[in-house]
Amino acid sequence: MVSSPASPTATGAMSAIHVNNNSSSSSSSSSSSSNSGGGPPPILKSSPPVRILPSQLARIYSFAHPAAVLLGFAVRFPQLVNDPVSEMLNALPFLAASQVVFAIICLPPAGGSLDNTPGSSSSGATPSGTSSSSSNIILRPGRPARRKGGSGGSGGAGAGVGGGVLGGLGGKVIPSLLALILTALLATPVLAILLVLFGAPFTTHHAQTALCAAHMALLTAVPLVYVHGVDGAVWREVWGAGRPADAVWGAALGTCVGAWLGAVPIPLDWDRPWQAFPITILAGAYLGFAAGTLLGRTKWVYGKRLRFAEEGELADKKRE
Amino acid sequence: MAVVSGLSAILIANVLIPLAIAIFSSGFFPYKPLVSGLAKCEDLEQYVKPPFDKVIFMVVDALRSDFVYSNASGFTFTQSLIRSGAALPFTAHASSPTVTMPRLKAMTTGSTPSFLDVIFNIAESDTSTTLAFQDTWLAQLRARGDRLVMYGDDTWLKLFPGMFDRSDGTTSFYVSVSRQSTIFLVYLRYQVKPTLQDFTEVDHNVTRHVPSELLQDDWSAFIMHFLGLDHIGHKLGPQSSHMLRKQREMDSVIGELYASIEREGHLQSTLLVLCGDHGMNDAGNHGGSSSGETSPALLFISPLFKTMGGPRHQAPIDIPDDFQCYKTVDQTDIVPTLAGLLGFPIPLNNLGVFIPDLLGVWHSYSQRTKVLLANAKQLLRRLEHSFPDHKITVDQLPGRCTTELLTSMHEAQCAWLQVMSLVDNSISTGDQDELEPALKRFLSSAQEVLTNAASDYNLRQLLLGIGAMALAVLLLLPHAYKQLSISMHSGAFFAGLIVSYGGMMFASSYVEEEHQFWNWIFSAWIFLLHVKVASRRSCASSEQLPISNGSFSSSMAQYATLGLFATHRILRRWNQTGQKFAAEPDIAHGFLPTHLYILWLLVIVTYVDICVHLSNGYHSSKPWRLICIAVTATAFLFKLGSVVSDFPELLGTTHIGTLKQAFNKVPLILLSRIVFVGLLLLILVTLYSRKITCKKGPVKLGMHTRVMHEALTLLLITQSRTTNIPLFLIFRLQAVTFASMNLSGIELTITSLLMQYMTFFAFGGSNAISSVDLSNAYNGIDHYSFFLVGLLTFVGNWAGPIWWASAARRLRYRQTWKGREVHMTTLTFHIATSSLCVMIACATLRAHLFIWTVFSPKYLYMMAWAVMGHLGVNLLGEFS
Repeated sequence: MVSSPASPTATGAMSAIHVNNNSSSSSSSSSSSSNSGGGPPPILKSSPPVRILPSQLARIYSFAHPAAVLLGFAVRFPQLVNDPVSEMLNALPFLAASQVVFAIICLPPAGGSLDNTPGSSSSGATPSGTSSSSSNIILRPGRPARRKGGSGGSGGAGAGVGGGVLGGLGGKVIPSLLALILTALLATPVLAILLVLFGAPFTTHHAQTALCAAHMALLTAVPLVYVHGVDGAVWREVWGAGRPADAVWGAALGTCVGAWLGAVPIPLDWDRPWQAFPITILAGAYLGFAAGTLLGRTKWVYGKRLRFAEEGELADKKRE
Repeated sequence: MAVVSGLSAILIANVLIPLAIAIFSSGFFPYKPLVSGLAKCEDLEQYVKPPFDKVIFMVVDALRSDFVYSNASGFTFTQSLIRSGAALPFTAHASSPTVTMPRLKAMTTGSTPSFLDVIFNIAESDTSTTLAFQDTWLAQLRARGDRLVMYGDDTWLKLFPGMFDRSDGTTSFYVSVSRQSTIFLVYLRYQVKPTLQDFTEVDHNVTRHVPSELLQDDWSAFIMHFLGLDHIGHKLGPQSSHMLRKQREMDSVIGELYASIEREGHLQSTLLVLCGDHGMNDAGNHGGSSSGETSPALLFISPLFKTMGGPRHQAPIDIPDDFQCYKTVDQTDIVPTLAGLLGFPIPLNNLGVFIPDLLGVWHSYSQRTKVLLANAKQLLRRLEHSFPDHKITVDQLPGRCTTELLTSMHEAQCAWLQVMSLVDNSISTGDQDELEPALKRFLSSAQEVLTNAASDYNLRQLLLGIGAMALAVLLLLPHAYKQLSISMHSGAFFAGLIVSYGGMMFASSYVEEEHQFWNWIFSAWIFLLHVKVASRRSCASSEQLPISNGSFSSSMAQYATLGLFATHRILRRWNQTGQKFAAEPDIAHGFLPTHLYILWLLVIVTYVDICVHLSNGYHSSKPWRLICIAVTATAFLFKLGSVVSDFPELLGTTHIGTLKQAFNKVPLILLSRIVFVGLLLLILVTLYSRKITCKKGPVKLGMHTRVMHEALTLLLITQSRTTNIPLFLIFRLQAVTFASMNLSGIELTITSLLMQYMTFFAFGGSNAISSVDLSNAYNGIDHYSFFLVGLLTFVGNWAGPIWWASAARRLRYRQTWKGREVHMTTLTFHIATSSLCVMIACATLRAHLFIWTVFSPKYLYMMAWAVMGHLGVNLLGEFS
């Protein structure tokens, strides 16, 4: 959703060698087909869907987290209705903290796996830094390795952040810091613009829109940035909503679709205080986040992509 | 089910759609003729000495029967009057809709306003929603030279302008609130903090006039309408403590009035009527047809009634569950009763019956029968007027009246024959014992016939219409399914659109806020197109897709959706419509009128843009260019002239004087005719030259449609409000963007559909009759003509949809006949399903509170969409 305008001029990348347990091989192979861009078509392979870390804690917490987030939202709902702005503002740090904790416990950080050596994680922590042919090795069965996106153009940010300092914990701290910074600086404004484009008030309710966007950014962007860093290919897929489904992308898409559905009760003439602008949107976003997180991992959805190209071809064929 | 081939299915369905609408309409808007003029005193021998010469008509808004009659009531003095016989208590049945204005009509004309009356009343300009030219008891009093005074709800002043010699109107702030409380949300009570001022001030405004008016002797009708009780009901419900206090206050007013009637000489023969216009339900709201809402109290009060004899009533009494306290009469019965008691002719359209309990004021039997006979003759005329087929004459088989009677119409006929024979009989023998019961029998059966004819829908025709439309849907279903299942995602989107749009037709707020739906679903559609474009870029190699026909480069197509989002966001803010957010600032009413230079810059750019497109359209020859420039310039001058005469505020204050002088001499009608003729000329020239080029070969295929499209745009601009003209610039941008996206056939169809509905609302349209824009309905016409004014109104209000139908036609120019068939099937399927849903909603919700204000206007709009928008624009466009 964010970084596509800064799309890299980039270079080839290694194709990811990965074993995808559940998703059909056809979907993943079709996902990484060629790209016809404006310039010389770069053949970019985007990263495969992300799995929750295999540890027991991660498994349990990955279910507990969306439930806890929803529960927290439900508990604070009356306060939200009473004073949306201050409640949304007060809830921001808690949401941010819980999202980061979720990411650290359950998700593989950008640029490397947990048991990467410091050396390999240094190349990984600058996820889009160099277009080095880094290792795309399955480090553990069932968990696809991170591919190092070859994208020199947008690498500035990554390189700046990722600098090189990295130790064992750094492999998790740096991505979470990066996630928080990018969420605040990029994802929130972009989501605010999207909210306005989808019909949020433009001349009034600025605080509400901004805070709603901040909440949605925390729900969507923190896990995405944590896992993918500033990988241009991934973000281009995000821009086209073409990521393969997993918990992280499911959460992001679910949040946005939920927010869209959240607009449904607003026109009703019930004159309830909760029908005020950001409340239903935010409630929809939270519900969508929980649903998307859980749904994206199920084996029926995992690895599948949202795509519409076939229909055009079919229709064209039919026309002929 | 696929028994019919695709093309014939489309054909049959499109014949069925207008047919179904016609059948449904005839059942939904029953014909109810109203008699115009005032009733006159006919034969003098009918004259009965009226017992009263003045009436105090006290309406307490939402005075449910139990508020007066129950043990918990605050009307203690009134109850003592009931016990003493000075007050005759009734429950007056108020038919739905139980809101003030139609109820006042019923209580003054004696007729129940029909569905179509209300629609026409809304459609008429504000000053003509009156009863000034209808026969009412007020008009009858006025006609004989009496004076009337009125204090309270200003609905009376709107209904009877110029009728009152003295008046002081109070605005009810609850007109809007009661509209908002829908039946299915009755349980959600309003959480508005009550302000005591609202409850007391409105009524104090009335009561402060009472003492002085009671001292005046110039009036013969003194009307009061108290709103406070209704306000308490809306805010706190019928059980609140404020309610009892308000009842006591009303009771003290009755006490004051009754005391003056007893005391003052000039009020000696004054009738006091206390009534509610409607009741309220347990939540304190009204409008529907529950027993609480339809059962207001009605009391006739005068010291004279004490001498009348007859049974004395108990008070207070236990209230039955259905609120039918004492005798239930119809609200319309007030009219003939007042006519009899005050001695004026019964208003022509009356459906009421003289309340028999009050006959006792005349001690002579012949006078009573004369009153009833006058009522009966009036109802008979009404009956003959409503049912011209049924002639009620003496020679009409009196024999069958002894056998079993089949219909109530037949019953009324027989009762009248009996009355006639008894009247003849009484003249010869003087025996009148049987006449009174016979008259009463006739009156009640005639009332039944007339009331049913006035308010009932013809259910059989409603079902027939729904059935015909359902047949159209079923015919198209297999074809639509086949085509939609081929294009999976668009098909799924379209199916979701149809289902949600159809379901929406059953919820009043979604009907009111329909534009929100289209904006909402359209943003989802742009998102889907965005995903499609993005995924096509990522998976298809460039030789597969010929991305060359747009003016945007292929890489631009990826960001095209952003442009669509941005322009759509501007469109949806251009005109605020609907109910809930209608008052919020928008571009057309808030921004542009305060930034006039921007407005006129945009308008001029739009005209120049069209002029350029027109003159580049076909020929490059000089005369062609000249004609184009002349026509566009004339169109602009016409627009400027109409702004000068109609909306001078859009020109600011500086240049208005000079412009006004300049345009004083120019006849606008002539200008607009020149524009229309010029456009026709352009089109004819293009058609003619197409013929020539066709002979030469298809060199410039698509060019003639371009000229047609530009000419159409100029016509639509001429028919649009000035503040909406810049919208066409945005449309052009969007059309170019869509062209660059290389959409498939079904996608173009859905885009066309969405853009048509979305832009209808962007122009300021809504599902309320009041939002019909008539400002351009008379362009080029100097007299009223149903067809021309209707056509121009349609073009003016559907400018956006017409433009997009044409633009989408141009986007689909490569389509084969097969593709067009898919297009027509999809559009027809949509219009058939949505019409079906509107029809079912109107039929099932016909007792709903908002049937007149929300659902039936939606039905009228749906008719316009289906007949004009679909058949007239979308389908005809396919064959042009």
